[in-house]
Amino acid sequence: MNESLTIDWQGESLQLLADRAVFWAKEKTIYIADTHFGKAATFRKVGIPVSEHTTMEDCQRLSKLIDDTRAEKLVFLGDFLHARAGRSQPVRNLLFNWRDQYQELSIDLVRGNHDLQSGDPWPELGITCLPDPTPSKKNTWELRHLPPDEDVERPFLAGHLHPGYRLHGKGRDSLRCPCWVVSEKRIILPAFGSFTGLKNIKHEMDDTIFLTNGREIQELG
Amino acid sequence: MVVQASKQKAKTLKKPAKDVVLEWFKTKQWDPFPFQKKTWSAHAKGESGLIHAPTGTGKTYAAWAGPLIEWMDELGKKPMPRRPPELRVLWITPLRALVKDTTHSLRTLVEDLQLPWSVEERTGDTTGSIKAKQRKRFPSCLVTTPESLSLLLSYPETKEAFSNLQTVVVDEWHELLSTKRGVQTELGLARLRLWNPKLKTWGLSATLGNLDIAQASLLGTNQPGKLINGDLKKKFEVEVLIPKNMEKFPWAGHLGGKMVEEVAQQIEGAGTTLVFTNVRSQTEFWFHALQGIRPKWKDEIGIHHGSIDRKERKQVEDRLREGSIRAVVCTSSLDLGVDFSPVDQVIQIGGPKGVARLLQRAGRCGHQPGAVSRVICVPTHAMEMVEYAAAREAINERRIEARDPLRSPLDLLAQHLITLALGGGFFSKDAIKEVRTAWSYRDITEEEWGWVLDFIIRGGDTLRAYDQFKRVVVNKIGLHTVESRIISRFHRMSIGTITSDPAIEVKFSTGRRLGTVEESFISKIKPGSNFYFGGKLLALKRVRDLTALVTLAKRGKGTIPVWGGGKSPLSSELAMGVRQKLEAAGKDIFKEKEMRALRPSLELQTVSSTLPKMNELLIERTDTREGVCWFVYPFAGRLAHEGLASLISYRMTRLEPMTLSLSFNDYGFHLCSTSTKEFNESDWRNLLSPEGVVDELLECMNLSEMDKRQFREVARVAGLIFQGYPGARKSNRQVQASGGLFFDVFSKYDPNNLLLTQSRREVLDRQLEVNRMVSTLKRISGQKIVRESPSRLSPFGFPLWAESLRSQVSSESWSDRVKRMSQQLEKSA
Repeated sequence: MNESLTIDWQGESLQLLADRAVFWAKEKTIYIADTHFGKAATFRKVGIPVSEHTTMEDCQRLSKLIDDTRAEKLVFLGDFLHARAGRSQPVRNLLFNWRDQYQELSIDLVRGNHDLQSGDPWPELGITCLPDPTPSKKNTWELRHLPPDEDVERPFLAGHLHPGYRLHGKGRDSLRCPCWVVSEKRIILPAFGSFTGLKNIKHEMDDTIFLTNGREIQELG
Repeated sequence: MVVQASKQKAKTLKKPAKDVVLEWFKTKQWDPFPFQKKTWSAHAKGESGLIHAPTGTGKTYAAWAGPLIEWMDELGKKPMPRRPPELRVLWITPLRALVKDTTHSLRTLVEDLQLPWSVEERTGDTTGSIKAKQRKRFPSCLVTTPESLSLLLSYPETKEAFSNLQTVVVDEWHELLSTKRGVQTELGLARLRLWNPKLKTWGLSATLGNLDIAQASLLGTNQPGKLINGDLKKKFEVEVLIPKNMEKFPWAGHLGGKMVEEVAQQIEGAGTTLVFTNVRSQTEFWFHALQGIRPKWKDEIGIHHGSIDRKERKQVEDRLREGSIRAVVCTSSLDLGVDFSPVDQVIQIGGPKGVARLLQRAGRCGHQPGAVSRVICVPTHAMEMVEYAAAREAINERRIEARDPLRSPLDLLAQHLITLALGGGFFSKDAIKEVRTAWSYRDITEEEWGWVLDFIIRGGDTLRAYDQFKRVVVNKIGLHTVESRIISRFHRMSIGTITSDPAIEVKFSTGRRLGTVEESFISKIKPGSNFYFGGKLLALKRVRDLTALVTLAKRGKGTIPVWGGGKSPLSSELAMGVRQKLEAAGKDIFKEKEMRALRPSLELQTVSSTLPKMNELLIERTDTREGVCWFVYPFAGRLAHEGLASLISYRMTRLEPMTLSLSFNDYGFHLCSTSTKEFNESDWRNLLSPEGVVDELLECMNLSEMDKRQFREVARVAGLIFQGYPGARKSNRQVQASGGLFFDVFSKYDPNNLLLTQSRREVLDRQLEVNRMVSTLKRISGQKIVRESPSRLSPFGFPLWAESLRSQVSSESWSDRVKRMSQQLEKSA
């Protein structure tokens, strides 16, 4: 199993999984944000050559996370599909094949901005689509895609930002990796999709930043 | 605009065409230079060639009158037509900012000669309606950029519209040469020559160290040419403002604001001054410093550099043209252009770093025939005085740097082949022949060719399974075309090679754009804090997405932004000159006044260590509190020194495990270690061996991170990154990905992708100057190694020791790197 790191948050114990996911062991639930399936296909439509290898890899990563944690529930925090143009046959086949191996798994999707444009996933995938925000089980926190601009009362998990952090060493030495941004009221998840970019974030006073390279987790500072 | 020669009845030419032009020169009280006449007669014979001369010597008229004479000769006694002739001349210029001035000066001649020629511009700024009108009937002369030419080639109708084209003139070829834009021009010319094998090509260039190659790359492999020397022994003067207090002057590396008053006085004594600095942050610094001591100049001096918004820059350029500005502090952004505007004086702040560059800058003033181009140099540290002395000598002897064309950039070839596919289609067998006539691709292999074709047809190795990918389709008879309208549109929008760095836009809340800064800079500025930009003191309100909203700050101080890159290393020619000057000083010869001013410091170097001779490599060892410091002085420029420092320290760690910190400048590099190991002569010979350099560099430098950054440009040119225009429609967002992401995906799933190989080559050639490293090590293997052990840091060594930029050589795990860098982060905070 990849390295994981357990944090206490809102009175619950959550595991950050190095492969860019959050696991709530008590409820056997995995949270994942921003898969952007079909992004490569969207690129191919305009003549930019990218294969579906990243989709294959992402399906394998999902499988491994579920196998390792024995999760029973998977929640996507938005941007499941990248664009309408990406609803292509190769993507559909890969996702259907993956779903066949996990028929028992319950899957929710909190719709993100990309989902609104690309439409809900194929119904055969058996994914329950929910509005943003949606309360979690027992209303412990809210599940969101877009982190709200203003302070909100309820704590939440969200995606959308694709947070990344760049560290500078001496000379030309520098390093950039995906991260979680954790504060008292919120957890921003890194984007899960392999063919997604990073957006550099600043280290704000109240935030704790956990960096990952996919195999290990390291707290910043 | 169409220039109508005469409203009267149709006229005929009364004189031979050449005399008409000669008379025009007479009315201007000019005498045509022999090189101008030479060009005209070569053009009349249907020849092509390259004219080289310093700026402001009449190259434009040399190239422009030829085609006009040709047309008049063809006309003979026939009545002068009222309608402008259809496209006969294509004038390519590297800068959009030059297009307007060029058009203007070309028009002046046809108007004065009362010829019915039309001269129009066509760039990315030209409106759609004008472009459409031009496509119906092109003007007699079209002034354009390499990108716009490529774009024209993507329309099948262009071939017909260009059927009357006789001459192509490429302005400032030395600027385009050795860039991808130059290669783009080569490819465009190859196509035009295919259409008309008799096409004449004339290049205008500053003097270069390898003019034969410059000409060959312009004319391609199948066109002979004439090299025309327009260097009229123009006089250049390199004057140096020598600091009054030499003893207190820093040896190297410091920002030199000490000379501001002297610079201000120089500006006061002249009409219009261009103040050149070497990097953008220095421009901001000097602009601010000058305003600080001359507050009344608030609106009289301007600032100009590549990160300032184009509109703001244009205002400065216009004022320069009008002569309504006292001085402009600028970077190489004003090296070219506005040739026809009055510049009375040129000041160079800091080392020239290259002979060609100083010559170019000096040439911005003293345009009248016979006038002297004078540049006043202002040192920011002492070693620059040696550079000036060396540069002056090199200029007088016209020992100028060479610029080498690029070798088969495949990213650009992919782009060009799609352009050809759009512009009527191509057959592989013919296209490879055509492309091979372009100098940069003369040696392209069948394999490389095949790979690029496969890349644009099937998307490369990993995409064979997807039949929906059809960027370029091949029909039964082998014609390659583009069918998809989306692909056509995307391709036309992304033609070009200029890669804009991802940057933060600086804006007032009114929406007025000021320019761009780097994310790493703005992330360190807190909202409410001030920074200087574009000569203004700004207060940051907030950063959102990729925009920094600012207001004018009322008072206080601010930080000066730093932009990455752009610091050119000392050129080989100049470095050689510096070594010669130092050798002379070692023999007690101080010819120039700069060298005499420097004499006390140089003597200090002789006392504590030595001044290296031409056939010597100086290595110093000094023990300090930090450990044992090694100083090596190959004089090979900062990029090569960075690589050499990494390489040598890597080789040291293999002799004995140790951690080394290192620093470098244009003159040498410094390694510091806590180990007390002594290296004898033969150890040093091994450490400095030219064998296996590339392989060892791959092992010791974090090249993949550099590759990843370089890949951005490759990906953009190959059409993977859709750059779009600033403020492009949002619908394109869904096909945005960074170069780094493509790099990761290709490295993992398509490691044989030749674009990865190309990006690695670009890193080695451009960022590390590996060739220069190897040739330096080869030179060293024939030199005598002189080892000195000064008890205190020598004048040469001190700036290297003080250099804050240091990096470490060691092999750590990912989490150790994160830990170390985040600790450094805390220290600096």
